Amino acid sequence: MNCKETAFQLSESRLSFSDLPQLVLFYSLTRDVLAVCLSIPRWLYSPTEMNQDRLSELEPKTWLSTPPEQQAEEMPNKEPSHVMCSIQLTSANGALCIINPLYVHEHGDDWLTHRPAALQLSSFRRQRRLSTTRTWAGAGIQSKRAISLDQESKAAGTEGSGLTRARSADSPLGPQTPTGVVLRRPSRDLACTIPQRASTGSLSTPTTPGTPEQHRHSSPVPQSPHRVSWIEDGVWLPPPRPSSLLQPPSLELDSLSISSIEEEQECQLAGPGPLHPSAHRLAGKVINRLSAVGQALGGLVSQKKRLTNRVVEMSERKGNAFGEAVKGFVEMTLKGGSDPTGPMGAEYLQEVRSSLSSLREILLDYPDIHAILDSITDLNDSEIDSLVELALHKVALKPVSSHLYSCIHTSRTNDGSFQRLQGNFLLLEKNGVEELGGSKGVGVPDSVTLERIQQRWASMHEAYSPNKKNQILLKVCKSIYHSMSTNTTSAAGAVFGADDFLPCLTWVLLRSNLVSLQVDTDYMMELLDPTQLQGEGGYYLTTLYASLFYITSFQPRLAARQLSVEAQHSINQWHRRRTLHCNKSRRSTHRRTIRRQTAKQNLETETESKSESGGENESENVDVSERHTETSTDAEWRPSENTECEQELGDQPQTTVQSDFQPAMQQEVMTSEQEDKLSVCIETEEAKDDSDGELREHLR
Amino acid sequence: MATAGAAGTSGRTYSFKVVLLGEGCVGKTSLVLRYCENKFNDKHITTLQASFLTKKLNITGKRVNLAIWDTAGQERFHALGPIYYRDSNGAILVYDITDEDSFQKVKNWVKELRKMLGNEICLCIVGNKIDLDKDRHVSVEDAESYAESVGAKHYHTSAKLNKGIEELFLDLCKRMMETAQAEERAKGNGASQSAANRRGVQIVDDEPQATPAGGCCSSG
Repeated sequence: MNCKETAFQLSESRLSFSDLPQLVLFYSLTRDVLAVCLSIPRWLYSPTEMNQDRLSELEPKTWLSTPPEQQAEEMPNKEPSHVMCSIQLTSANGALCIINPLYVHEHGDDWLTHRPAALQLSSFRRQRRLSTTRTWAGAGIQSKRAISLDQESKAAGTEGSGLTRARSADSPLGPQTPTGVVLRRPSRDLACTIPQRASTGSLSTPTTPGTPEQHRHSSPVPQSPHRVSWIEDGVWLPPPRPSSLLQPPSLELDSLSISSIEEEQECQLAGPGPLHPSAHRLAGKVINRLSAVGQALGGLVSQKKRLTNRVVEMSERKGNAFGEAVKGFVEMTLKGGSDPTGPMGAEYLQEVRSSLSSLREILLDYPDIHAILDSITDLNDSEIDSLVELALHKVALKPVSSHLYSCIHTSRTNDGSFQRLQGNFLLLEKNGVEELGGSKGVGVPDSVTLERIQQRWASMHEAYSPNKKNQILLKVCKSIYHSMSTNTTSAAGAVFGADDFLPCLTWVLLRSNLVSLQVDTDYMMELLDPTQLQGEGGYYLTTLYASLFYITSFQPRLAARQLSVEAQHSINQWHRRRTLHCNKSRRSTHRRTIRRQTAKQNLETETESKSESGGENESENVDVSERHTETSTDAEWRPSENTECEQELGDQPQTTVQSDFQPAMQQEVMTSEQEDKLSVCIETEEAKDDSDGELREHLR
Repeated sequence: MATAGAAGTSGRTYSFKVVLLGEGCVGKTSLVLRYCENKFNDKHITTLQASFLTKKLNITGKRVNLAIWDTAGQERFHALGPIYYRDSNGAILVYDITDEDSFQKVKNWVKELRKMLGNEICLCIVGNKIDLDKDRHVSVEDAESYAESVGAKHYHTSAKLNKGIEELFLDLCKRMMETAQAEERAKGNGASQSAANRRGVQIVDDEPQATPAGGCCSSG
């Protein structure tokens, strides 16, 4: 175990953890075979609040290996049903096992005793089938089709432990559980351990005489639950969330949602590395497992879903003020935007935005909506805001989004910016990232990553919610960063900032569908709630906007100060629109109410850090598969508990900027006045500067 | 430097946006990375590495959330500046002490920022790379007197040696808080709470204090 500054890692491992409990829990959850035993202090059996404090104070040596014999003495086997949700430790043949009692409860403890396993396996299976009902059946058939009977028993076991893990990790029933399943050490005295490991990872390995399976059947070794190393197999689960120990994972149902996993799978499929086909099959099973658990616990629909459902229901109900308002909004919006006498383009979108804000006000007038929002205690204001926004997008923006696209398209075509975009695209298309301003040696996405990015852009275009679009944008930015440092030719570990990110993003954009990206960018820029323009999402949207602006206004003759007067003016216009709007939308009594209530909840600190990691987690889920090849960001890895925001809730990743801009009325006027004046200044000076710039360029 | 213990008295949270401006390669990114990652728990490293970083501080009992926006410094991107610095409470203008051009660039930025944002924005002029003092091309006196003439503060830093960075940010935060408080006073208290919250300063109702480990700013 190494301790590097603030990160802990096992020697020979590249995974780092911010503290020891996270490390231990991670290895417990992933069931990796470790080269040494990790000793677990006794009191960890039943963690309490008090223990949690101790936990974080532990020195690395506390966890270091002690001889197995000693551990055996220290940790006698417990009654399996003693405590449902605590880890049990056992030690046999030099291997330290941490056993989740849920597994024992499900499958019996026969394997713990030294009886041959052959007989038990079938009874295990039957028991499992019985206990887990029909959600298992599908996967059972699948595995039958895929593998031999002999292997199926093993697969069944794998599934069993998979479920146990998922259940204990996610079940609200045992929030305090450390949920370890098996932490097993390869026993040196058993030659079969290694091959067994290998075969567990690839289920479709042809069964030949003397396979590990048979070893296992004849072996007197305790049949510990079968380990699957997700990492080595290249199939990753979403990061375990051990830090949820103290927080009831009430919203975590959504973390079981499949799409994040599917996405990883796609990542894998697209990945360059060689893969076992079986790994995918295995991942498929895991998906089944997880969704099964999700369904099993489906009675507890998350508050988020409740909110969305309620909003949808209200919008559809006749005679309901909100429903009528939504209907009116949709009708008005569909009529507008294409009439040359009415507002067009950005102005029209701003009208749409302010109508959305009015709809939100109406919505927040309903006591039952209030009640739902009040019951959400583990989110901060900005997250609650974006929750409301998302629900609203579903009823209001979804029906009009394609109309809005075509309005943006028309407006961009009419003002000639699409033409410039296309024209400059041809000029810049061939430019490498250095010619676009990037520093020497900065990496760009390889063709596989680029392909993946294109897919993300496509899904970004499909999303109707600007918040969702923004989230996808963040994922793209993340993979661009990854490529920048991975594919760099300069010294390893180089960190790239905006100086290189903007050129790199531009490089990517020049290989993407610029028109549809411009439409999406406008859509987000104008329709995101102003509070969403702060924070990370806002930053990268700004960068995307800047990059498109750069392409559109590129003038080869002027390398310096390239933006035309019109371009500059347009930026200022946008600034003004949004500043004005920002004030309007913040003048809501409801918001203040919510804010105070939230403040009272004494959860501020937790939610802050939690939501922060939530935002990260979202991208992490996607990119974890890249992690094991990536040393530079390993230190960033940390298990995080809340993926619940990911699916539909477009929570703002950066809640450090939870407080939003709330300019005053007077200031607003001043700012715009000031700005008008200034844009004039700039314009007059711009003419001068253009020649200056040219001159300067010549001198270089 | 205040510790978290003193923080219970006032429950305000300020959120400030700080934009980093300066020519390419003057070390903007290293500077902010040094500041945000060096002494902070890695929980707070943002997902997207180095262009947008956040930092939480606790200054004399007031909590401050900083959002730091890095910008591309190449001349060709100069005109994109306004998109980034809009709504900023502070700007850090970085130059390389071995590169006179980069100092000139800072002067341009100061001119533009003062024009666009007036005196509301707190400016810091930062001479980075003082570890290369033997190659200095911008004299200390010139730089400091210029800074004074435009109402900016001047700092000398080395991202490489981690010198002067904490002080820079701490000072900047204090000044931004003063600016915010002055606006607040100017508008009168109470009734015009929102009036005080111009451009990103927002005051949130009293909240429980962060744990000492969480929000405390380590003093420089």
